[in-house]
Amino acid sequence: MSLFTVEIEKTYRRWRTYIGFAVILAAVLLLEVIIKLNEPQMSRAFSGGLNADFLISGHILNAWVITAFIMNSLYIHVPFLIALVAGDMVSSEATSGTLRFMLIRPPSRTKIISAKFLAMLFYTASLIVFFGILSVGLGLIFFGGGDLVKFQPGLPHIVVLPAHIAASRTGMAFLAAILSMSVVGSLAFLFSTLADNSIGPIIGSIAVVIISFILGNLPFEFTESLRPYLFTTYMGIWQLLLDNPIQWSIVGKYALALLGYDTVFFGIAYYVFVRKDIKS
Amino acid sequence: MSETILSTEGLSKRFGSRWAVKDLNLDVRAGEIFGFLGPNGAGKSTTIRMILTLLLPTSGSVRVFGKEIRRHRAEILSRVCGIVEKPDFYLFLSAYKNLELLGSLSRKVTADEIFEALEIVGLRARAGDKVKTFSHGMKQRLGIAQAILTRPDLVILDEPTSGLDPQGMKEVRELVLKLSREHGTTIFLSSHLLTEVEAVAQRMAVLNHGELVAQGPVSELMNDGSSYFTITASPMEKALELLRRVSWVEVVAEGNGIDVRIDSLRAAELNRLLVTSGIDVSSFAAKRTLEDYFLKITEGASEV
Repeated sequence: MSLFTVEIEKTYRRWRTYIGFAVILAAVLLLEVIIKLNEPQMSRAFSGGLNADFLISGHILNAWVITAFIMNSLYIHVPFLIALVAGDMVSSEATSGTLRFMLIRPPSRTKIISAKFLAMLFYTASLIVFFGILSVGLGLIFFGGGDLVKFQPGLPHIVVLPAHIAASRTGMAFLAAILSMSVVGSLAFLFSTLADNSIGPIIGSIAVVIISFILGNLPFEFTESLRPYLFTTYMGIWQLLLDNPIQWSIVGKYALALLGYDTVFFGIAYYVFVRKDIKS
Repeated sequence: MSETILSTEGLSKRFGSRWAVKDLNLDVRAGEIFGFLGPNGAGKSTTIRMILTLLLPTSGSVRVFGKEIRRHRAEILSRVCGIVEKPDFYLFLSAYKNLELLGSLSRKVTADEIFEALEIVGLRARAGDKVKTFSHGMKQRLGIAQAILTRPDLVILDEPTSGLDPQGMKEVRELVLKLSREHGTTIFLSSHLLTEVEAVAQRMAVLNHGELVAQGPVSELMNDGSSYFTITASPMEKALELLRRVSWVEVVAEGNGIDVRIDSLRAAELNRLLVTSGIDVSSFAAKRTLEDYFLKITEGASEV
């Protein structure tokens, strides 16, 4: 059994791991049911003032539009759900004492921390994939398919992605969301190597995400100068993949920035972990 | 003389300005049960953590199977099993799953091997139960099962009977002896209980305030000719007065009983003296506590 398999087994045999899946199931189901029950009002809200200038035929509310809307929760509760597990990966084992047991076995600390980090990434990916399949699946059941119509952020026009490419674009957006959320996971993972309890890393990482997000959105010269250095600036990468045309140079820049943060956070976690004296 | 299987040279660890372990030289030989004795806070766990690479020594080195642990870590630890402080398991997993996961960190383990290890420690029937339902004693036994499972050449146990009731202590002691006799495993056993070390170990080292106080065969260290006894007699005042007058008796302490230090060969003579002096002796018991032993050996003995 490889170290990675051991970590995956441990992660997915804990009930805490399923809190994230349960919350996403409840949130997505609730949102889609509410939207379905209030479809006429929601249609008007989604189309905004478009009815005045455009002739809209068919359903503006469909699986792809609803999914794109629900994906905004990537900024709200999903980071918390990821931190819940990622912030626990090392610290919970330090608390329970099982970390001691692992560290006196033959695998090196480098292998152990790498396996834990990969397991954290795997969890993040599985949560986002679950989120995607659920949003799209329920969307197709409740609302059916259609064109993806959305406002393009920062531009004075709307985007219409025909039905045949909406699915692939949504898939790409979820893949980008995995990268985006992996940074939150990496941050919580880093904090997890610094603490001997789980609460600190979870709350600490969420606090950093919230503060970074607020700083990045304040309309002041100073905070705007900070924006390029805040990882939350790049977390909206998934939205870029729903634009038309996709601005690949910006997507690439965002992806590199997110990978850079992943690398830095893991690098620090690695440095701390391999030098850590295990006193508890 | 047997081959040295574990040795430390000038091993030291400093936390801030405090030396937890200072200039420690240990010598553990193949096949023996080696007692590592010391009061709580003496530096035993710190030493074990350095041996098992959990702590980086401030200075000195650890050699296991003739190789420096830091340079040959994986190779050495594949032949070593340790339980530091207490055996910790994944409480949300079954005993079987814990052994499977933790055992696989050393080598591939089969289901038969896991069941066999659980059988030896009497936990076969609880294999499928989550560890969170286990008592402390059962977790200790599961820790020993883990040691048996990976078939190590050296087992390091840190206070294995800590927190156990007398029955649990007896069971763990028997398992330790079994591991040594039937598997030929070298066992490094730390404890603050002299009786525990005396019951199982052939050789021992004594640590106090992070420094080695004594090291050698248990039988030699425990019999340097003088011993401590506690005497309960009536009337106490008269007994105390008599004991203070006898030149070869040293009164160490007085309370509910009188603690004396004498040549162990003269115990019967002292008892007779008390009785013939009209003193009723209700008990005359040898003291075997660690505290008394320390009092004895810190008065002169160092390296044996």
